[in-house]
Amino acid sequence: MPVAYDELTSGHEFPPVNYVLDAGTVLAYAEAAGSEWREHVPPLAVAARAIASLGGLVSLPAGTIHVAQDFEFYRVVPVGARVTCSARVLRKLARGGVRLLTLEMDIKDESGAPVQKGRSTIVLPEA
Amino acid sequence: MEFAVCEGAVLPEFVRQVTQSDINRYAEASGDYNPIHIDAAFAATTAMKGTIAHGMLVLAFMSEMLARAFGDAWDESGQLSTKFRSPARPGDTLTVSGKVESLHDDSDIVLATCSIVCRNQADEVVVSGEARVRIPASV
Repeated sequence: MPVAYDELTSGHEFPPVNYVLDAGTVLAYAEAAGSEWREHVPPLAVAARAIASLGGLVSLPAGTIHVAQDFEFYRVVPVGARVTCSARVLRKLARGGVRLLTLEMDIKDESGAPVQKGRSTIVLPEA
Repeated sequence: MEFAVCEGAVLPEFVRQVTQSDINRYAEASGDYNPIHIDAAFAATTAMKGTIAHGMLVLAFMSEMLARAFGDAWDESGQLSTKFRSPARPGDTLTVSGKVESLHDDSDIVLATCSIVCRNQADEVVVSGEARVRIPASV
């Protein structure tokens, strides 16, 4: 069940989401991005599903804008790997008409080793 | 690695025309089926007046340029910090470019810091930011 913006506080942790990076997913990514095929999953293909999953965790109104995105990559994973994404609210700002949210996510492989970290900043339209 | 890494070096550009087909494929890869990206009729009723590419698809283009420049070192140790400046639309031709701004030696590793930018055919900035990558000093 997506959580409404008003119910979120800094530090809020969402339930982990896990997914498999199968060949079909990686191929779709590679075709869309013009990516050269490699034996491992391109890091932005790993992130693609994680970022989309954030949209299912928070109830975001139409007009929400993704304004900034950071990544740190630690290791690659092979095609077919299952990864787990854990996300939390790093920062929430509601001042005047501005409603901003920064979400941090950690992606780990099946052994628990870190794969990448990401930070997404979004701005919600005025309520 | 296809270019000599030194301060001031210009990274090989990555040019890609965005198509609705690319956007649809990215939706399949990510699971992000927000209608602003894939439903032309819906998107026409919004402030965007038409579909726009996922911001993450534009970042994928940027990451591809960095992977071609730095090889596996990018995929294994890259850091990306970006801001979305304007939307990319189907039909836009995007050019991703970058430059090595600084190199920092750290024993057997060199940390390269690059400025990166993605512009459309009208020279408008779509995404800008900074990338850092740890590369073996012997390369």
